[in-house]
Amino acid sequence: MSEPSPDAETRELARRMAAVVGEAHCISDPAGLSVYECDGLSHGRIRPRLVVLPASTGEVAEVVRLARAAGVPLVPRGSGTGLSGGARPTPGGVVVALSRMRRVLEVNLEDGWVRLEPGVINLDVTRAVQGRGWYYAPDPSSQSICSIGGNVAENSGGAHCLKYGFTVNHVLGARLVLDGGEVVDLGGPSPDTTGYDLLAALVGSEGMLGIVTEVTLRLLRKPEATRTFLATFPSSDEAGEAVSGIIAAGILPAAIEMMDTLAIQAAKAATGLNWPEVGSILLMDVDGPLAEAEHTSAAAIEIARKAGALEVRVPVDEAERQLMWKGRKSAFAAVGRLSPNYMVEDGVIPRSEIARVLREIGRMAGEAGLRVANVFHAGDGNLHPLVLYDARNPGEEEKAAKLGGDILRLCVRLGGSITGEHGVGAEKAAYMADMFAPEDLETMALVRCAFDPDARFNPDKVFPTPRLCGERPAPYKPHPAEVAGLAERW
Amino acid sequence: MTTRPPTADDAVLGVTPGAVVEPATPEEAAEAMRACARERQRLVFVGGGTDLGIGAPPTGVDVVLRTGRLDRVLEHSPSDQIVVAEAGLTLAVLQRTLAAHGQRLALDPPGAERATLGGIVAANAFGPHRTRFGTARDLIIGLSLVRADGTAARGGGKVVKNVAGFDLPRLFVGSLGTLGLITSVTFRLHPLPEASLTVAVEPITGRQARALVVATREAQLEPASVTLRAGEGGLRLGVRFEGFGPGVRQQAERFSGLVEAAGLRAEPLDDAGAGAFWSGHEAARTSGSVRVRLAAPPSALERVLEGPVALLAGGLGQGWAVIDPVVGCGFAGGTPAETAPAVAALRQARQALVALGGSLTLAAAPAEVRAGFDPWGAPPAALEVMRRLKARLDPEGRLAPGRFVGGI
Repeated sequence: MSEPSPDAETRELARRMAAVVGEAHCISDPAGLSVYECDGLSHGRIRPRLVVLPASTGEVAEVVRLARAAGVPLVPRGSGTGLSGGARPTPGGVVVALSRMRRVLEVNLEDGWVRLEPGVINLDVTRAVQGRGWYYAPDPSSQSICSIGGNVAENSGGAHCLKYGFTVNHVLGARLVLDGGEVVDLGGPSPDTTGYDLLAALVGSEGMLGIVTEVTLRLLRKPEATRTFLATFPSSDEAGEAVSGIIAAGILPAAIEMMDTLAIQAAKAATGLNWPEVGSILLMDVDGPLAEAEHTSAAAIEIARKAGALEVRVPVDEAERQLMWKGRKSAFAAVGRLSPNYMVEDGVIPRSEIARVLREIGRMAGEAGLRVANVFHAGDGNLHPLVLYDARNPGEEEKAAKLGGDILRLCVRLGGSITGEHGVGAEKAAYMADMFAPEDLETMALVRCAFDPDARFNPDKVFPTPRLCGERPAPYKPHPAEVAGLAERW
Repeated sequence: MTTRPPTADDAVLGVTPGAVVEPATPEEAAEAMRACARERQRLVFVGGGTDLGIGAPPTGVDVVLRTGRLDRVLEHSPSDQIVVAEAGLTLAVLQRTLAAHGQRLALDPPGAERATLGGIVAANAFGPHRTRFGTARDLIIGLSLVRADGTAARGGGKVVKNVAGFDLPRLFVGSLGTLGLITSVTFRLHPLPEASLTVAVEPITGRQARALVVATREAQLEPASVTLRAGEGGLRLGVRFEGFGPGVRQQAERFSGLVEAAGLRAEPLDDAGAGAFWSGHEAARTSGSVRVRLAAPPSALERVLEGPVALLAGGLGQGWAVIDPVVGCGFAGGTPAETAPAVAALRQARQALVALGGSLTLAAAPAEVRAGFDPWGAPPAALEVMRRLKARLDPEGRLAPGRFVGGI
């Protein structure tokens, strides 16, 4: 099949964009464009009209002005590792890839911050300062490839956000290009800048408010000691009890990760780890000053044993510790070894519901005739069920998608969230109405309208029904949770 | 819902409202907001009134809406470490409820018996625990609000980890009642520490304090609070460690070692001494007719002490300052006998802080000082976007008009 050649309007836009970013950085050929058809969510590909790769704030501002003049939407993109389709192109839109803007601009360890461009890779922030004993705390599993700009858009978390918080807790400032091409600075390295906390609105806004061209991040001094252990359990019931017990004892672990049998099998297949194929594994980090870390680690191990741990393994050295974490962090991709296809879900439940929810997911999977591997951040109740399926079997992909959706609705019913860290993006916009009332979404849309009244940036994400900024509020409808009898209006 | 005529206590920075409403439920609050919308009435929300001195006097107030009767704990889940409570609940009552379960909200602004949760969020009030736990921004996970037109809405949720939708809860932190009424808030909680030890260092200079903060960080100690208090007797540093017994003892000992290595005297305080130290801190923060918030990069500590803090001590008379030298934020105040030197000192102190990359904003002052001193200072770079946000959420500008930055 021959590719349609770009229309005159697109050719003209490409010519103007190329004049700003350079011929080599304005992609309009079908093969080049196909690379940008999706992000980490691979279904629902859309070919963008153009892809531009600006190299500076000035170029981004000029790209925005050109898009505005042409009435074309823009979709900002970092490394494209997002799992909710947040960087999926908008039909007819231009993708602004920030991967050329990857300079670390300024490091100030006196005041504990770094200023950098959005294309810098998450792990490279820590690499830039670890020699001096510092690090950047948020550690999404994709940290060796995902970009800081993408982290800002998604408010990325990671295993260690239980203790250290999310991206929003670590961004001190940002430079933002708005729809008119104006450049504004939000926040900054000094605390308590005056006015509304627009930075808080920006972090996690999924590229819908503007394009971030610079970020100032808080850096942390490395903790003195980290103590890690792995505990095996007959089932998630005992593991869940251990997690609850550890938290109830007043311990704030740096991370507590849980994996079920299928996930353990996948991790073993990928890494060659000699983990036993038990019902459930907990991997836990505590850190802090030496005596604190040793005390809490010993206390947590004791609680795990009392909860019914079969075995507790403590790594003998840093290499073994890294291997344990590699097993955990590679579990997602490793599930590919168990099944031709799988979908990654991301939901949150109150931590106390872990065991019950895992049983319920098992039951739902059984009913659907599918397998679900569970890898998750147990400390904060952030589930990552991996729904396994074979797309070659007719109807199985749809069944898997339905099961994933049912799991998200279960999370909402229990007072949780449809996403803990992957974002709403394109994938979960439809579920927003399960979690939020029309008035809630309308209020969020008003915030968006304050930044981007013409919906220039990533217009078809997050909100279940696209809304124009001039629209009048809809009449009152009961909150979905209210209808289900699970919550009152307040 | 109670509606009554105003008394002198209902005035907001000298502006007396036409009426006071005291809703008993969020539904009543929304109803009151809708009634005000119909009548195009201007509103100011008042919690405990502890931070009403922040910002400029409103350009006009028809109705003061007091949140004090919205005082229920709606949900406390100790195992999930979250609490949902109405906005008018005082911090002290909340903390007592949580303490029964071995938990706390890690926020400790002054005046806990009066300060309400909604007010703390709206004013972004904080205390010495900011060193370790941050501000309301770092602890809030959900919020219910009523917009100017009476529409009730929610943002965030009841779980700590949640990235669904735009972050309305954090956007409301520090918004001073200009974006909408906060009717309830959801916070993440922390365990009450098993042990707490405070070490005082006195006398100490600004240079020594800065060096000690850096040495503490280099030694990988993790204090819960670090505060430097400037008053009549010079500078005094207080460092508090919290956690499990063995860790706290080891950290306090190692910190004392750092102090002595610097040629200073470390004084580990017993429980009574520590109690007196921290209540003294709170007493300082709430004293004086003029009070300001300061911010500057932590590395500028000495310059902040030699410049703005010294200027304020002179100009405000019997002045005090408390600074978190880890975060780079602080407070100063005093009771000036004369207006002109106070205003001059405030202006010079602000100029000096701005030159250091920081800021100075007014937290309390009598009318004659306000007449000569802008409470906010130069508008922030993103003022235009802030105005647009205000216009979207409160298009008629009826919520605390004129109180916020840039006349918002």
